[in-house]
Amino acid sequence: MADVPDAIVLKRDRDLEGRRHEIWIRRGLFALLPLLSLVALTNAFGQHPTTSSKTASAATLQVYGSPRLRSGLLFEARIRIHAHSEIERARVVLGPGWTQGITLNSIEPGPVGEASADGRLSLELGRVPASQVYVLYVEGQVNGTTVGRRSADVTLYDGANRLLEVHRTLTIFP
Amino acid sequence: MDIAVRAAVLYFFIVLVTRVIGRRELSSLSALDLILLIVLGDAVQQGLTQDDYSVTGAMIAVSTIAALQVGSSYLSFRSKRAARVLEGLPLVLIDRGEIVDENLRRERISQDELAGEMRTQQIASFDEVQWAILESNGTVSFIKKGG
Repeated sequence: MADVPDAIVLKRDRDLEGRRHEIWIRRGLFALLPLLSLVALTNAFGQHPTTSSKTASAATLQVYGSPRLRSGLLFEARIRIHAHSEIERARVVLGPGWTQGITLNSIEPGPVGEASADGRLSLELGRVPASQVYVLYVEGQVNGTTVGRRSADVTLYDGANRLLEVHRTLTIFP
Repeated sequence: MDIAVRAAVLYFFIVLVTRVIGRRELSSLSALDLILLIVLGDAVQQGLTQDDYSVTGAMIAVSTIAALQVGSSYLSFRSKRAARVLEGLPLVLIDRGEIVDENLRRERISQDELAGEMRTQQIASFDEVQWAILESNGTVSFIKKGG
């Protein structure tokens, strides 16, 4: 019987000559796995919602929703308009992040009308009396193949008069 | 196209995970190891084909992973360095009847576990073992004294 099994090199396979560093590479790579989980806990990959808000003399506009989503996720966003003075023909125009690569399941309350405003989705909301709050609920799902970053701005108009805009960016992870 | 990309990304991620968690977890099926295997399979499937229930999608995923598997295997066959990275090297756990403690610790194998492995191969005592070698596939080979 051979003293050492074939293909076994004692210096390498028993004494770990030239292999001692491998365990540290392995441990280093292994540390990346819980690191990924920790980064995920900080909402780096979504989908914890945030609120963005802007105030002008005519109204306060708040957008509540997740700035980071992942392919296939269902989500809800709320667009809240607090009219400081009457808005005769309230209209919100949504940035491309609200519609591109996203299936909108419902928008409640249903807008009075819909149109395209320079390629963006424009929703006619009707009259919002002074001191009243109007909340628009948008529910949808990210399409399975959608990835990337895009603008999810919301602009509030009174007819053709631009009142204010909330800037947001939507990042979709694969 | 995205299914092929997803399959490739997930393949390399799983290779990384299986290489870093250590070889023992690959071959053993203790209750805790079983959890990893089940969750791994289920989580990967969701990210791989998502809402695509088509035969075409399944065939693309399987073909991509099969091609990567054959490619990795060929690379390991052609290059010792690649084999070392992708599959690892054997590790001596018992050398001519002497237990190599450092190597057991390195792979998180207790002497009790090693004894359990021996019993599955009808070996009752360490005294009977000349060599024990942790192979790159996670199994432990025992060579008996005077065998």
